[in-house]
Amino acid sequence: MSKVASVLSLEDPPWPPSVDEFFPPGLFGIDWLTKMMLMVWLAIALIIIFFLIAYRNPKIVPGRMQWLAESIYGFSRDGIAKEVIGHEGVRFAPYLTTLLVFIAVTNMFALIPLLQISPNSHIAFPVMLALITYVLYLYWGVKSHGLGKFLKISLFPPNVPWPMYVLLTPIEFIMVFLMRPFTLSLRLFANMFAGHMMLLVFTLGGFALLNAGGLVAPISVLSWGMTVLLTLFETLVALLQAYVFVLLTSSYLQSSLAEEH
Amino acid sequence: MAGNQPQKPPQSPGGSDGWVAVGYLLSGMAVWGGVGWLIDRWLHLGRVPIAAGVIIGAVGGIYLVMRRFSP
Repeated sequence: MSKVASVLSLEDPPWPPSVDEFFPPGLFGIDWLTKMMLMVWLAIALIIIFFLIAYRNPKIVPGRMQWLAESIYGFSRDGIAKEVIGHEGVRFAPYLTTLLVFIAVTNMFALIPLLQISPNSHIAFPVMLALITYVLYLYWGVKSHGLGKFLKISLFPPNVPWPMYVLLTPIEFIMVFLMRPFTLSLRLFANMFAGHMMLLVFTLGGFALLNAGGLVAPISVLSWGMTVLLTLFETLVALLQAYVFVLLTSSYLQSSLAEEH
Repeated sequence: MAGNQPQKPPQSPGGSDGWVAVGYLLSGMAVWGGVGWLIDRWLHLGRVPIAAGVIIGAVGGIYLVMRRFSP
């Protein structure tokens, strides 16, 4: 815990950075009140306030904020939901938009000064998001086909000679019921974790090089230059991962609703 | 339902296709490699069943990827 304090003072940066950096101590002496939790509340508040203000007084010719909100919703409705799921996808557009905006905002926290870490770099948050998607696509699969037919559609690919089912059905089972939620949460978590770790390595590495003195010290400029480049790269990753999460969610919903896949 | 309506084929914008293919390959290797590992623990065959299982699983995974993406 003293490590975090020393990062802030930058007197003697801890080297190498470790997983401890991802677990700041509880605030005000309360263990469960962490920075991550406050950031999630902040994200929720920001999103609610933004959309409330944007749609408070809707006009036929939208203002700047309304235009932005409508573009975001339009993108996830037409660009993702309708594109991937088809006509039925419109009913999932509110969920997909919420998911997209929430993940994008919490990911972008990794780049905002003082916040500088995304809640999604704790695996609990992506797991929870993936769990909602998991329950949703299983629920819609069972609801639209019935349990037996849903299992038949997802586990027995059509137009396959029957002995192949011995080989293929266990693979499909693992894919649909284990691999999907697992990879969905792990992909988001690992991207945000690795992104924060890379920025830590190059930022603190710059200080470590500077403290080493002598001929190595000027290389710290190179290290900080990498930090700037990686920050730009992180912006791309943060938005891309939000998009990928939503895209895969809608792709899973599509395969639950489709007659065969 | 599929006959009288022009059902839109599952056509994702491409972004998720790669993940699906990787998922099938990994699932195949994990499942049948896991079965091979269990057989190896049971009969002590010098880890041959693990290798065989991984190969069989990869074949199954590749088959599923081909079936999914061939028109």
